[in-house]
Amino acid sequence: MARVYNWQLGREMSYWYPESRPQRQFAAVFDTNKCIACQTCTLACKTTWTSGKGQEYMLWNNVESKPYGSYPLAYDVKLLDMLEGQRWSGSKYSGQTIFESAPAGERVLGWRPEEQDYSYPNVGEDDCAGQVDHGALVTIPHMNWFFYLARICNHCTYPACLASCPRGSIYKRQEDGIVLVDQSRCRGYQECVRGCPYKKVYFNPMTGTSEKCIACYPKMEQGIQPQCFVNCIGKIRMAGYLSKPDQARPDNPIDYLVHVKKLALPLFPQFGLEPNVYYIPPVHAPLSFNEQLFGPGAGAAMKMYRTAATDMDLAGLLCLFGSSEMVMSKWRRQGEMVSGLDDKGTELVKVPLREPVHVRPGVDPKLQIIRTNCP
Amino acid sequence: MKQTVRMVAAFGLTGLLVGAGCRQAPAPVPDVEAGRVASVPSAPTDAAWEQAPEHVAKLIPQDLVEPRLLTPSTAEVRVRALADGKMVAFRLEWNDATKSDLPGPAQMIDACAVQLPKTLEKEPPAPQMGETAKPVEVTYWRADWQATVDGRGDTIRDLYPNAAIDHYPFSAQSLAPGSPEQAEMAKRYAPARALGNLRSGPRQTPVEDLVANGPGTLSSAPSRGSTGKGLYGKTGWSVVIVRAWPPNLADGQRTNVAFAVWQGAQRESGARKMRTGWISLVAKGTK
Repeated sequence: MARVYNWQLGREMSYWYPESRPQRQFAAVFDTNKCIACQTCTLACKTTWTSGKGQEYMLWNNVESKPYGSYPLAYDVKLLDMLEGQRWSGSKYSGQTIFESAPAGERVLGWRPEEQDYSYPNVGEDDCAGQVDHGALVTIPHMNWFFYLARICNHCTYPACLASCPRGSIYKRQEDGIVLVDQSRCRGYQECVRGCPYKKVYFNPMTGTSEKCIACYPKMEQGIQPQCFVNCIGKIRMAGYLSKPDQARPDNPIDYLVHVKKLALPLFPQFGLEPNVYYIPPVHAPLSFNEQLFGPGAGAAMKMYRTAATDMDLAGLLCLFGSSEMVMSKWRRQGEMVSGLDDKGTELVKVPLREPVHVRPGVDPKLQIIRTNCP
Repeated sequence: MKQTVRMVAAFGLTGLLVGAGCRQAPAPVPDVEAGRVASVPSAPTDAAWEQAPEHVAKLIPQDLVEPRLLTPSTAEVRVRALADGKMVAFRLEWNDATKSDLPGPAQMIDACAVQLPKTLEKEPPAPQMGETAKPVEVTYWRADWQATVDGRGDTIRDLYPNAAIDHYPFSAQSLAPGSPEQAEMAKRYAPARALGNLRSGPRQTPVEDLVANGPGTLSSAPSRGSTGKGLYGKTGWSVVIVRAWPPNLADGQRTNVAFAVWQGAQRESGARKMRTGWISLVAKGTK
């Protein structure tokens, strides 16, 4: 194995291949606090890419109700158990990644979900066991909170799927860091399914090959955000490109949220893949749970989000989420207005920091009638 | 030592066959001997196999490259060979308590393969998938392809009878059944098929011709006209793989052959397999 630098762990780590970062890295920020689990993202992806034979069970995008929801079943807790707990020393990870803890004869520490693990797209959906008249029927570790976690492929800097494939059928594009399965080369060994800790590679039994999220690369190449982003009802998502920490540009929306403010955090950084979908953690979930999912920066991020409205830059940037279908490589705030711009600096969209408030009185003075709340 | 073990096992097998009242087969042989017949048999049950001597090849786990197979499974594969001057047929038999021919997530498939050096050389390529500039030819048989050839349909309900399907884009009313437009729509959601990946089916033959230049380099090769037929019986698989006779291999000459077996129930796939090293393949000439 080679030695590579993983900035999310604050240290070097072992990886199957030497470090080879793309010219730019596809990345995204998801605001978990805004997600309503309407699954429009899931359906947008499903109808676009996975409506064929053998793809019936595939959810390249899924939204799971945490803490229990998971697709496939227990994909996260199973590997966390195998890793036997994580150890952070401040912002540096002192535990072992899935590459460093690979058993003899294996490339990564992994496991392969069984068929029935795909039978429950979101077990425990909206289950909230607390606050019922006669007490809870069962006692479970997380009694009365939940949040929605939307997931796509993380297009990792150090993909475990890519490392797992013994025949090099998975590649990471130099131009944008998107990770793809070469459908002309794959022979369906399912090593990638076993290796990916997020279980975002799916075996297609009809074609005999494995398939995964492609970050809608035909759209990204045109400067348009992926289907699950532009169809998001809650406007929780923003797609773009992430720089290395030492090259972060504050005028890049993703860089600003990930590197400058450290508000958006990777999912399970301890696995060691340097995943590139970043989450603003749910502010009402317990800190310990958020730290397990998003690493040691969760507490500071939760605190920052609670006061985001007082930070005009941060609040302004969050207003740009879902404001345009185009990829906003840059952003700027001018007073009360926030703009999203493309690579060339052309303005794509301009939104107000605060929407104007209109008060509609309960009584219509002209018609002398009482208005109802009907729309 | 190995030879002694092999001979003991072989005598034991012969004794069983005799004891069961079978017609006595030729004694087991230390090489794979391809005797000459008028036309090679294509079925595992063909009577011609009874006259072909059996070579019992010990299998070892693939433990040289990751991912390795750390737990040995299939102990041996019983091999017979016959040739007709143009083609050579191998019959591979191995014990397998579970028939695994349904593809799916975490479902691996029973399979076997025959490997020969691409060219006749004094020093053969590395037995494990060949090496750079010294390619090997592989002919690969799979149980799920056999099921397709034997009549299994190409729908998800053929794999999961209780599957519920709302709609496929290619089943839209605007697309006439069997029309090129419908086939084109189906391809859009089957990228491996759209790209012509020979792995992706549906298949007309249960075998595939491949070439390799070392571990991880296995690729589809132009068809060498290979065919195959597998039957699952009480104790396991009996599979015939027919491929082209190695060019320039004259009667009495030797080349090398290697075999591999995958048991789906043991989660074997790709590099996780039981295999042999090179074994002498002898052209025995006209009988």
